Amino acid sequence: MSELSRLKFYCDESRCIECDGCSVACAEAHELPSGINRRKVITINEGKIGMEYSLSIACMHCTDAPCEQVCPVDCFYIREDGIVLHDKDKCIGCAYCLYACPFGAPQFPRDGAFGSKGAMDKCTMCAGGPLETNSNKERHLYGQNRIAEGKVPVCAAMCSTKALLVGDAQDVSEIYRDRVLARGHGVQTNPYGWNVAYGDK
Amino acid sequence: MANTWGYGAMTNSLGDIQNAKAIIIFGANPAVNHPVGFQHILKAKERNNAQLIVVDPVFTKTAAKADHHVQLRSGTDIPFMYGMLNLIFENGWHNEKFISDRVYGMDLVMKEAKKWTPEKVEDVTGVPAAQLIQITRAYAKSTPGTLLWAMGLTQHTIGSSNTRIAPILQLALGNMGEAGGGTNILRGHDNVQGATDMCCLSHTLPGYYGLSDGSWKYFAKSWGVDYSWLKGQFKSKDWMNKKGFTLARWWAGVLDGKNGNDKIHNGGTNLKTLFVMGNGITSIAQQAKVKEGLDNLDLLVLCDPFVNEAAILTDKKDDVFILPAATQFETSGSVTATNRSAQWRSKVIEPMYESKTDHDIMFEMAKRLGFYDQYTQAMKMKLNKKDFTFPEDATDEIARIIKTIGLTGWTAERLKKHSENWHMFDEISGRGYGKMKGEYYGLPWPVWTETHGGSPLLYNINRSVKDGGMGFRARFGTEHEGVNILSGKGSAPKDSSNKDGYPQITAANIEEVLDIKLSDDEKKRIGKNWKVDTSNIIAEKCMEKGIAPYGNAKARANVWTFPDKIPMHREPLHSPRQDLVKEYPTYKDKGNHYRVDTQYASKQDEQDWSKDFPINLVTGRLVNMNGAGMENRASKYLAALSPEMFCDINPNLAGRLGIRDGAMVWVHSPEGTKIKVKAKYSYSVSEDRIFMPFHFAGHFQGEDLSHKYPKGTKPYAVGESANTVTNYGYDIITQIPETKGGLCRVELA
Repeated sequence: MSELSRLKFYCDESRCIECDGCSVACAEAHELPSGINRRKVITINEGKIGMEYSLSIACMHCTDAPCEQVCPVDCFYIREDGIVLHDKDKCIGCAYCLYACPFGAPQFPRDGAFGSKGAMDKCTMCAGGPLETNSNKERHLYGQNRIAEGKVPVCAAMCSTKALLVGDAQDVSEIYRDRVLARGHGVQTNPYGWNVAYGDK
Repeated sequence: MANTWGYGAMTNSLGDIQNAKAIIIFGANPAVNHPVGFQHILKAKERNNAQLIVVDPVFTKTAAKADHHVQLRSGTDIPFMYGMLNLIFENGWHNEKFISDRVYGMDLVMKEAKKWTPEKVEDVTGVPAAQLIQITRAYAKSTPGTLLWAMGLTQHTIGSSNTRIAPILQLALGNMGEAGGGTNILRGHDNVQGATDMCCLSHTLPGYYGLSDGSWKYFAKSWGVDYSWLKGQFKSKDWMNKKGFTLARWWAGVLDGKNGNDKIHNGGTNLKTLFVMGNGITSIAQQAKVKEGLDNLDLLVLCDPFVNEAAILTDKKDDVFILPAATQFETSGSVTATNRSAQWRSKVIEPMYESKTDHDIMFEMAKRLGFYDQYTQAMKMKLNKKDFTFPEDATDEIARIIKTIGLTGWTAERLKKHSENWHMFDEISGRGYGKMKGEYYGLPWPVWTETHGGSPLLYNINRSVKDGGMGFRARFGTEHEGVNILSGKGSAPKDSSNKDGYPQITAANIEEVLDIKLSDDEKKRIGKNWKVDTSNIIAEKCMEKGIAPYGNAKARANVWTFPDKIPMHREPLHSPRQDLVKEYPTYKDKGNHYRVDTQYASKQDEQDWSKDFPINLVTGRLVNMNGAGMENRASKYLAALSPEMFCDINPNLAGRLGIRDGAMVWVHSPEGTKIKVKAKYSYSVSEDRIFMPFHFAGHFQGEDLSHKYPKGTKPYAVGESANTVTNYGYDIITQIPETKGGLCRVELA
């Protein structure tokens, strides 16, 4: 990884089969209480021919993260590699970040404001939190810190079809570009004429 | 399958699917049941632009990724495939040379196929004629094409015909014995292939040796025990040669024909004890009968890491024992993957608490039953040792004895070396490099000798036998009705000294077929034929000459020993199409079928089942669970994905029945049983069928049995078993239950 890298997730919808390997691996690895879904697999149009798609969604670790913009206590911080984290000791659980987040990533415990995973919980890209790396308290509040150990986030490591990619944005995009080129999608095989653009009329 | 060309196993491998130009799947849902393996299918789509065709009554997760989904009526795979064959022959898309050189009896298939015009197929299967034509063209024109199947094809009364028509389709197109082709049968669980190869089955000795006297004597010798001692273990000698009960119908053996149950033939006694090791018997068909069987046992022993829910289902109070078995992480040894390759597993931790490994439980049993010495003798024989090491010596014992599927090369040492160096093999071809050069990953059987590298693609004559090549197995003699059924001229594996067909190699014919002379010493040591030649002289000599020890014959489309010589369509016992039952009736009732009288025609003709039970019931799996689901439902995170038992129902059907999304419904079966489950609206099923997962237990016909779980063992999710309402019906050859082609009625609860 270069010093300029920005870590990103990407889920390839032509490969995701809703096996939930990612979400279960995440919950298991970080010992999440029930009801906290750092990662979720969403399926739309289930059972409808040609329209059913599945996608694994978690915090997208935005470069210009809206959660960070709106947080009234300024508990978010963005690491140099682009991972968006927050300080659970500062967080007040107001859920204003949930208003701002386009992906529904912030999760709130059902067992009161001071649940086992703090006031608000979200995907850390397996990078822990602001506490001492791999300390008991970090593990307890934020879950595993696999990034510090040089490991891939557990969701992508577990992905059965390698639909879920994670890494430097450039590497991720190269892998996806290879797939697209191999498939021939995005390569115009028919002339892009009037009827393709506007239909037969 | 085995009756078509010799072996009943996946011919290629999951990785090899990446070589396919077209993929057709019958009754399998790998996106759910083999999610990791499914990536090879997705890669074939990505890289080869392979067409993915999914033939399934349900729009599955696999279908969601397909180019074509064929929603055929359950139990009509044979008409559909004949429809394909008809178009293939009519348009000349078949591979004539392949058929004439390597297939026997295709003429009968051609004749039958003519009857299945696209219009006729549409009427019987419900698949539009235009779609059949489109799919057949796409599949036949894109070669090599691979064909996959799983339980959706096999779990029918005509399952053993279904598993022959699929190979016939591949033979007609010449899609066998090459990379990217083959019949890739997906095994449903870890080590199913291994359990089958070791014949945890009632009709054969390990390695598919059958139950003949010759086989018993071979094993007596190989196990180092007296044949007469083995004989003494049976009531009388003739019981050694008789098939036993099956997993599907063991309960009939307990119930002994009482209260209208099917009559049994078990030497004048019923079954009194059931000993279960790691089998989710709450996931087998007809749970009400399973319960009745359990209730009437004298002794029930369940060995599992989790509570086997047979203990919850039964009302039996005394003499039920739950033995804590260790998991796979607490032991070591080899397992066999779906593609016939082995993998060595290492122990991660010692067995926890008072749990014991399966083999320790068996050893302790053998000690108490008084045959521990005989039981373990064979493990000491290879090196004439005083004691044995498990599982290494067991693996070496298997390698020493099992010749039929070529396990000679599967020594513990080699298997360990493969697993330790798994990174030194190509993902697609399985070929090794570096120090693993010349071997294929996991040594897919047959591995004829201790230096052979395995056979990743069965029946491939473009490779030498040394490199995993072979023709079809000469298992059914050399001629039938005066016709030579050995392979045609010039169709022997590469580098073979004999360019044509040849019979299986025996001590009597080896000199002639291989054109060699044996020394006197070799003549003394050689076994009678390749299957019992523990000297391995036959295999070694064959390798030198490029000859497959099992012969080189034609595959047979005509299995003359079966009730239907070529696969014929027969309606399910409970058919929604009564008008077709007259035209395509089932078999006559079969007496003493694995010791139980089994109904076919009498069940089908009993009444017009479709009147009271108009809806087809299809069962299957969920991605987060397997088998009876006992360990999965005990996992918090897995259980959360499907916390309740449900049935997928089309909103149009549900609407007509006044059932809202999420309402509780009763599903009634023709057997008079019923279950209460939650309705889940889904367009994945058409309006004439429902889908239910079979992983639940803990409820029975509306009653919650949760109070029966021993303290602290209740799983997070419990519910009705779909198999309480699966219908009566068993395959005519294998007795596999009909879990996909039954009927039911749905009512608002």
